[in-house]
Amino acid sequence: MLIYRGLSRISRISKKTSFGRRWLPSHPLLSGASHSAAAAAADSSVKVLGCREAYSWSLPALHGIRHQIHHQSSSVIEEQLDPFSLVADELSILAKRLRSMVVAEVPKLASAAEYFFKMGVEGKRFRPTVLLLMATALNVRVPEPLHDGVEDALATELRTRQQCIAEITEMIHVASLLHDDVLDDADTRRGIGSLNFVMGNKLAVLAGDFLLSRACVALASLKNTEVVTLLATVVEHLVTGETMQMTTSSDQRCSMDYYMQKTYYKTASLISNSCKAIALLAGQTAEVAILAFDYGKNLGLAYQLIDDVLDFTGTSASLGKGSLSDIRHGIITAPILFAMEEFPQLRTVVEQGFEDSSNVDIALEYLGKSRGIQKTRELAVKHANLAAAAIDSLPENNDEDVTKSRRALLDLTHRVITRNK
Amino acid sequence: MVIAEVPKLASAAEYFFKMGVEGKRFRPTVLLLMATALNVRVPEPLHDGVEDASATELRTRQQCIAEITEMIHVASLLHDDVLDDADTRRGIGSLNFVMGNKLAVLAGDFLLSRACVALASLKNTEVVTLLATVVEHLVTGETMQMTTSSDQRCSMDYYMQKTYYKTASLISNSCKAIALLAGQTAEVAILAFDYGKNLGLAYQLIDDVLDFTGTSASLGKGSLSDIRHGIITAPILFAMEEFPQLRTVVEQGFEDSSNVDIALEYLGKSRGIQKTRELAVKHANLAAAAIDSLPENNDEDVTKSRRALLDLTHRVITRNK
Repeated sequence: MLIYRGLSRISRISKKTSFGRRWLPSHPLLSGASHSAAAAAADSSVKVLGCREAYSWSLPALHGIRHQIHHQSSSVIEEQLDPFSLVADELSILAKRLRSMVVAEVPKLASAAEYFFKMGVEGKRFRPTVLLLMATALNVRVPEPLHDGVEDALATELRTRQQCIAEITEMIHVASLLHDDVLDDADTRRGIGSLNFVMGNKLAVLAGDFLLSRACVALASLKNTEVVTLLATVVEHLVTGETMQMTTSSDQRCSMDYYMQKTYYKTASLISNSCKAIALLAGQTAEVAILAFDYGKNLGLAYQLIDDVLDFTGTSASLGKGSLSDIRHGIITAPILFAMEEFPQLRTVVEQGFEDSSNVDIALEYLGKSRGIQKTRELAVKHANLAAAAIDSLPENNDEDVTKSRRALLDLTHRVITRNK
Repeated sequence: MVIAEVPKLASAAEYFFKMGVEGKRFRPTVLLLMATALNVRVPEPLHDGVEDASATELRTRQQCIAEITEMIHVASLLHDDVLDDADTRRGIGSLNFVMGNKLAVLAGDFLLSRACVALASLKNTEVVTLLATVVEHLVTGETMQMTTSSDQRCSMDYYMQKTYYKTASLISNSCKAIALLAGQTAEVAILAFDYGKNLGLAYQLIDDVLDFTGTSASLGKGSLSDIRHGIITAPILFAMEEFPQLRTVVEQGFEDSSNVDIALEYLGKSRGIQKTRELAVKHANLAAAAIDSLPENNDEDVTKSRRALLDLTHRVITRNK
């Protein structure tokens, strides 16, 4: 309650001061990489120059409130913490920077970039949120600072680089969406060849390439070749996953292993490898980097499994209220795969395909009789728990921001499971 | 692994190699010659083993640039050409049609991602930046071609800018990457860049001419594919300077093939073909000048390679197919 008001007061303060005023960090807790709710007040006069731009920010007012927070009971803190609001202001800075990074000379490319941001809003910027929280959760504190100036500059630069990872991740993600979604439109529109249609497809492909190239340039600017390799591999995984989905044999489509591998490539690889990149940029050990990777991977898998369930159930607990878009596109997901284990005859239906919508009804019937939905949820919970375990295994750190961020990351592992839309 | 799993991607890879053969592997040839031409010799080798290892490693890295360049080139072709098929097939919506497009996009993405990983393995972020910029230029050039206003289509400056993005940027930036990997100075890197850029521009300008003339010296025997696709190239742009009325025809577009005939008539009366050739020669000479400005080097292989690079600047001009 007090915390919540305090936090919202901070966000109001930061909004007022976000234009044209530069705050110098005045307290070790507030410097550089620490990032609790709305602490970022970017100087708007700082020109956005991509990932290399550093900016200083902080709020002396936070100092006093922190002492209050420190004295509150920890259970209150847990109640009021919204992972997304922890990084909300930072995210809007990222969005602005992203916009400037994808400005194109050619107006039509610029329109495609707008699509980009609509998508970003739609997706609640899930990935960047995870990455920014991870960055704070892994905060390596400089134990004996020479003097405030040195510590702050280094920490700020590190944070900027980690934000850059978040931006790059979004660019790669949207590039893949542009390529995937618009071509699926080609599918559903059944090749109506108007010029706009063709322009739409070609431009979407070009826009995806454009974003990819900008991501590569941004990656290069980080001057960390291990990170470059990690994220280049992600691009390869996205392609592989999409290809696996497109060109499955009958056996593969009915294989849970194949499905999980494809899901890793298509969904989890991006988050897992960028979490790892965050850890590497922070100079963490290989063990910690692996923990970050494991968190991202299991969170991503849990997310996708619940996504599969929701496609059947929608916001209702019962079947068939979801959009059913996976099955209508002939994409066989975990619930059906589990159902097939219980009812082998379902496989025949699956092999016939689902262009005939009566097959969809039959499949739903089997699914309802089976424990497919429940088993999928259970598997999702298992992965969510693995993600939580990874956070719990991180090296102990009593810093308040670190603890808060880790708790937020744990919170996310609950949210991916309990969400119903 | 992917190719084993996904036979269709294997077919796309074959396309890759067919294209490589068709194109006479022009780009990799230039890059490998440039690598030798810029060969930095180790003057006092400690012992043969040390010199050889680092020289071999350098060469391998430069070959990698050539491979990456080809992957980027073909990825862009896959993205451009097959989607143009969508244009000409006018959207006949068979599943094969859609799979064809989707697979082409995926195959292009696959090649791009392999190029990214290969780039990363070079552990040179300046080179990564250079080649990532190339991808951006390819996209920009293609978009420029797709979305021109009437004024832009008739502008020589716009055309040259687009041509740089679409054709010359890849060669110029990869030549520069070769130089950087060889540890050359910034000045030499710029010379390498200039060579690639001017060679690429000269190549494209002659390409434009050949689209009209084909293997014959006279007009109209070429494939005329540019103009039929409504792509206005240098010869027409020059002709428009002499005959402003040609612009009206251009603005009407060329779906009506009688407009193609009218344009060819004007082109024949104009000095469009000749002026384009002259401009190509100018760029070829600039490319040659860049080679001549390289730091002196008496090594036999170096001299041979430089002479070969000069020879290429003649060949791009004199070729007739």
